[in-house]
Amino acid sequence: MSRYEVLSRDGLARIGLFEHAAGTVSLPAALDAEAFFPDLAGRALSNIHLSADSAFAQQHLRPGEGQPVPVHPRARNAAGSGDCVMVANWHTALAQPRNYTDWLITLKNEIAPDTAWYAPAAALPSTVCLLVYSGFDLFDFTGVDLKTAQGVFCTPEGEFPASAMETGICGCEGCRQADLKLHNRLALQREITLVRRYIESSRLRELMESRCRMDPAQVAILRFLDRHYTFMERRLPVVRSAPMHVNSAESQNRVEVRRYADRVVERFIPSRTDVAVLLPCSARKPYSLSPSHRTFASVIANRAHELIVTSPLGLVPRELERIYPAGHYDVPVTGYWDREECAFIADVIARYLAKHSYRRVIAHLEGGALAVAQTAAETSGIDLEVTCIGRPTGEASLRALDAALHGERRMQHDVVRGTISWQFATEITTKGLQIRGRSMQMTVLRGKQQLFSIDAGTGLFRPTFEGWRMIPEGYRVRIDAFVPQGDVLAPGIVDCDPRIREGDEVLVEGPLAVATGRAVMGADEMMRSQRGVAVRVRKVRKIPQ
Amino acid sequence: MVSKEIEKPLACWRGKDRYCGEVLDSVTVILRTAGCAWNRCRMCGYRRERYPALPQGELAERLIRQVRWVEANVGDGEYRLVKIFTSGSFFDPQEVPVAARTAVAEAFRGRLVIAETRPEYVNADVLQDFMALIDDGTWSTPLFVAMGLETTDDRIREKCIAKGFTFEDFARAASAAHDAGAGVKAYLLMKPPNLTEREARDDMLRSIEEVSPLAEMISMNPCTVQTGTDVERLWKQQAYRPPYLWSVLDVLLRTPVHVLCDPVGGGQARGPHNCGACDGAIVRGIREYSLTADKGLLAALAAGDCGCRKEWEFVLDREQPYCMPLTR
Repeated sequence: MSRYEVLSRDGLARIGLFEHAAGTVSLPAALDAEAFFPDLAGRALSNIHLSADSAFAQQHLRPGEGQPVPVHPRARNAAGSGDCVMVANWHTALAQPRNYTDWLITLKNEIAPDTAWYAPAAALPSTVCLLVYSGFDLFDFTGVDLKTAQGVFCTPEGEFPASAMETGICGCEGCRQADLKLHNRLALQREITLVRRYIESSRLRELMESRCRMDPAQVAILRFLDRHYTFMERRLPVVRSAPMHVNSAESQNRVEVRRYADRVVERFIPSRTDVAVLLPCSARKPYSLSPSHRTFASVIANRAHELIVTSPLGLVPRELERIYPAGHYDVPVTGYWDREECAFIADVIARYLAKHSYRRVIAHLEGGALAVAQTAAETSGIDLEVTCIGRPTGEASLRALDAALHGERRMQHDVVRGTISWQFATEITTKGLQIRGRSMQMTVLRGKQQLFSIDAGTGLFRPTFEGWRMIPEGYRVRIDAFVPQGDVLAPGIVDCDPRIREGDEVLVEGPLAVATGRAVMGADEMMRSQRGVAVRVRKVRKIPQ
Repeated sequence: MVSKEIEKPLACWRGKDRYCGEVLDSVTVILRTAGCAWNRCRMCGYRRERYPALPQGELAERLIRQVRWVEANVGDGEYRLVKIFTSGSFFDPQEVPVAARTAVAEAFRGRLVIAETRPEYVNADVLQDFMALIDDGTWSTPLFVAMGLETTDDRIREKCIAKGFTFEDFARAASAAHDAGAGVKAYLLMKPPNLTEREARDDMLRSIEEVSPLAEMISMNPCTVQTGTDVERLWKQQAYRPPYLWSVLDVLLRTPVHVLCDPVGGGQARGPHNCGACDGAIVRGIREYSLTADKGLLAALAAGDCGCRKEWEFVLDREQPYCMPLTR
């Protein structure tokens, strides 16, 4: 009997504990698999290549005795919660990006999430980041030991002839002792430790974008996975409290970027006004804390709805500027906007303007941002009024902006309604609500009753029980008849809103209690896991029986 | 009226073969036929090498033309051994009509004939009729029935090759051949897909041991990647690697009986290969051993310490059914 519990996640990657007869290991890790899994000795003549058709795979896949449980993309798989899943011959998939992606998605969709994933012979210092990013947890030393036998020196950046060991590339114990085998094993373990660190800091994507550069197949796999938006979106947290570095062409295709933009277009309810002003972004986040945006705000003086045009997110309404990744991203600014980003941003703006009609749209923009806004305006048949004369913060520009807004009525940016709509896909009435505190310490009250507070790290709203009353449906987690003592675990969940993602605020409801809290796994994992914390509970209320 | 036209067989070449401690000049003929009736072995590259469907009479005539081509193009009397292959079974009357078989027998009367077939077509009557035509008293065993047993392990033959017969079927055919006074030659296939390097090597050692009592001649073919086969598809998908020449050497050295071996495609990515540097000498050595049975030569080659030997030893030791092939 074995058990696997995921302790933290970053997309497909996890940190977890695997308990097994041979002991408990913290994953991801590389270990001597044949010693750890004595049952592996009984797998003679069991090979099934990954590309085998379903008839062959079905006929020859024998679950075997004990752990790990072999699985195949085209067979009915026997692995269940707590098992260690072995995707045999996965090292051969690394050179086939399209198959790698398809097989991975098939298997991940089919097999329970609370299983440890073993990729035999696949891990090298140069591949293990991708493997963990893809959702593998357990590795062996077969790959690095083979390199040693071949006289190859391994680094995370790639492989070199053994003589490279003498050149000072690495100063590990193995290198000091001129022991290639030791170096190669240490290099693998060091890379796994580093990857783990990035998972803990919620920034594995940035490491992955960097690590894949030396191998076209790895870049291809990263891109293919990004294209499987629905699959990835379910597994990525809705928000993070970590920075997002948008440093490569692939960064633009991050699921978080598209999801944010889609919600701005599809869920967000803008503040009531019929004048919009498009503004440039600022390096400082949230934008409103930057000197340029303070200047814009004082000129606009609430006479228009402020929409920030930015790469890579497209359009950030002022109400949503604190929500991840709007309040968290950093992008290299060169003044050059490439066609890919222009097309994406123009599309977001055009979709937004098609959905929300404004009497006037003022573009207080220059350069690339202005060009993108103009493309979008043309697409949606809207006349842009341009108020920039040179730099947006220049005196002439600001004067033009002020003049353009002369006579327009004042409005209020309804941060509460905007955020709730983006976060919960629902519309609330904010009449009678007061906001106390500014920016990151905001709380929302009705009279003396607190309804929401802002999570300073992520920008999401945290509803109290009273706040949840304003959100009539959705984001509910249904539990069995028990009163949660501490957190809600996955096996206690009966049903949940399939839209829930890791990081979402949820309302736990059961026959005996209700609770507020934050989801630490997505809906898919809540429903398919037998282990692990599903909701970190903030407050519990017993229901009087 | 039978015409005198000739037609070139699929292939025909001169060579030398070891038989009973003697090296004989030989001719190998591969006849185009109606094709293999089974036709589904994973490594087989001859599946399409067949005539389109022909009436039996016409098929026989086309085969007879090929026999005439051999008679016309290979000098008479200069060779003593003839090996006849089809892309299937020489003794399948659907594939090789009886009239054509008779023409072959008449053409090669007096030679030592080795003819390949699947075991289901081996029966004493057919063999006796054929032998009566070729036998002129030169040879005590004028006919050897060659069968592609591939391995004595039924699981491997079924899973990895899809051969469609069992070791028992082979044994029955071998005993029918012996009853008819013919000899038996067994072909073994080293490293079909889905076997680790060690599984493949051990399979050959066991197979040679188990087939020795049933076959006077044993030939081991290291698997090659032929165009258009299942094996080629696997090879392209990183799922198959032909055996190391080190493994071939290892088997030939360890086995107590002499095993014939011609490593076709040796040293190439699609054939049995090592690193590329040491392959040529080993391939030549194996071919020589096939003729001379000189184990000293094999031992000298196996003691060579090319850098890739370490890799092979690692693969032999650590490649597992769940992580293979480890190398290309």
